[in-house]
Amino acid sequence: MVPLSDREISAEIIESCRLGDRDAFRALYDLYKDRVYSISLYFFHGDQAAASDVTQQVFLKLMTGIGQFRGDAEFSTWLYRMVANACTDAARRRKSDAVLPDHPVEAIAGPASQEEDYARAQIARSVRAAVAALPPKFRIAVLLRYFDELSYEQMAKALHCSMGTVASRLSRGHKILAERLTGLVRSSAE
Amino acid sequence: MLRLGIAACALAVLVLAEGFTFNLASPVASQDFHAKAAAFVFRTQGCAEPAKAQISGTAEGIVNGVHKSVALKIVSMSKPGVYAVYREWPAEGEWLVNLKGTCADASAGAIVPIGPKGFIRESSRILQHPATEAEIDAALKALTTGGGK
Amino acid sequence: MMLTRHPSPRLAAYIDRQLPARKARQTEIHLANCAHCRAECEQVRLGMAALEHLPVIEAPAEIWASIERASQERRARQPVMSGRWRLAFAALLILALVGAVYWAVGNRSGIRWEVVRLAGSPVVGSQRIQAAGRIGAGEWIETDSASRATVRIGEIGSVEVEPNTRVRVAVACPAEHRLALARGEIHAKISAPPRLFFVDTSAGTAVDLGCEYALKVDADGYGRLQVTRGWVSFQWRDLESLVPAGASCWTRAQAGPGIPYFDDALESVKQALVRFSFEKGGDDDLSIILAGSRVRDTLTLWHLLSRVPGADRGLVFDRIAALTPVPAGVSREQALKLDPETLKLWKEELAWTW
Repeated sequence: MVPLSDREISAEIIESCRLGDRDAFRALYDLYKDRVYSISLYFFHGDQAAASDVTQQVFLKLMTGIGQFRGDAEFSTWLYRMVANACTDAARRRKSDAVLPDHPVEAIAGPASQEEDYARAQIARSVRAAVAALPPKFRIAVLLRYFDELSYEQMAKALHCSMGTVASRLSRGHKILAERLTGLVRSSAE
Repeated sequence: MLRLGIAACALAVLVLAEGFTFNLASPVASQDFHAKAAAFVFRTQGCAEPAKAQISGTAEGIVNGVHKSVALKIVSMSKPGVYAVYREWPAEGEWLVNLKGTCADASAGAIVPIGPKGFIRESSRILQHPATEAEIDAALKALTTGGGK
Repeated sequence: MMLTRHPSPRLAAYIDRQLPARKARQTEIHLANCAHCRAECEQVRLGMAALEHLPVIEAPAEIWASIERASQERRARQPVMSGRWRLAFAALLILALVGAVYWAVGNRSGIRWEVVRLAGSPVVGSQRIQAAGRIGAGEWIETDSASRATVRIGEIGSVEVEPNTRVRVAVACPAEHRLALARGEIHAKISAPPRLFFVDTSAGTAVDLGCEYALKVDADGYGRLQVTRGWVSFQWRDLESLVPAGASCWTRAQAGPGIPYFDDALESVKQALVRFSFEKGGDDDLSIILAGSRVRDTLTLWHLLSRVPGADRGLVFDRIAALTPVPAGVSREQALKLDPETLKLWKEELAWTW
């Protein structure tokens, strides 16, 4: 028997969710939770409470609004639109976005970084800090592109902007990252 | 990684303590609609890496007084370690399913009599080894004399 | 042709191959001739590569628990009166919409299911059929005491309509197959992924999760769901009963599904369940159910847990625990609070005894 692909699971589960099936909603949650949480976590520079709040908020909204969807193609776009809105709204409400403390590596390190040696852990910390220091609009675009393989068209819908704007934000955002991480990233890439 | 290693050791200890075995159930236990038409489902327990367990099964039956054997395709469900057995044996006669599995160095077996309403839990036997021919014959005899139902 | 303007804003799109072919070609030519833009492109690539150092982090388990709690609180806050009015308005709106949709879908899609006569002269729509006929959305099948029929439900299965039954095709389309059983009995055999086939009754909706089952309803709205293969969810408002093969569940109009039970449970237990579900049964009935339950009757007991008064939940929990070990991750405290995560985990484990 061939296991159901993510896409098959997603389309079927979305349909079940629309019909009010809580188990199906849980399956949908399981499918997307880590990406949503990761995007939020890196957006807020490792702030687990903020990331948890955003994740909860997004999925609660999804639970009440899933009836609007007709097909899988629309779903990711809508989901990540909510993620983007929740992140940027929360960022606006926070007192100081520019001086967020760097949350300890141990608090947020996933299994992959636990395997890294100290040098790699330091690079990861620097990358997280560089991402968190990006202007929010660049930050969310960069994270959405990295954590989910949305097309620029989908990202444009999720971010309420044109594809050209998506491209521009990604170009500038990545360029800023590279400037801030010069030497660090180049040496790790070689 | 360290936590993972400790967990793996703990699990290994658990495996040694509890032993590799099967747990039978009706299809609803699989939580998988692909199993709805299954005769029954089962899961492995006490196996450190369920996805690597080697599982096989046959249907053993008595049809018109003759012992028949049918190789079964044991189907993996979406959850690792959970399998479905579908009715691949004829409608006539009395049948049971003989399961066997290995996980690392451990073995397990099960003799699962089949009745009109599905597998007969009360008569099913879970073994710490693949069923022997004598055990299968005894179970078939019990079935055909009405003792297994 | 070289772009006179540097394509800085488009470099990420170029790297990600998201540019239209013509623009991508122009950008490529420009980069071949512009060292500044090549350097900038390299920076964008490095920025993208830097993100490879960010692993996906697993969301903490408590997020789901908080979502469930918030969802429950939200449901609990809805005032009963406004809920009822909202329901009434929604029902009217739905009736109007559904009427339009049935007409539109039925006529636009033209999907009509085959009906085969098994006995007597069933009425399909407005006509008695002698051998076979077709039925579309919005139409009724009615059998008298001497007639029976089989309806082929699209590509997913069939339903046998027993004597003295009146059932309507509510929706007939590939993504949804829905009947409405007014009275009588049907036997469904469905071979499809779950939640493609539904039967509405005055007591709620039988949601196919992959199964064969019999569903009957009498003129007073009393009914019974009996599952012979797979499993069915019967839902009404917030009440849901999961009924696996070999089990049944009584239903009642405006009360929803009762507590499911295995057909081989003790008669005393079954009768106590009816009283408990629909007739304000009390401590005596609870005692009968608990005392008469076997290991596989944890199906009944699990459903009972959320339907007894809070003070009695401990008794139910203790009975289940006496019949089968409580799995790790299920605490008495959380179970008595009806924590959704706990109950779900427990159900999944108990299902291995059903």
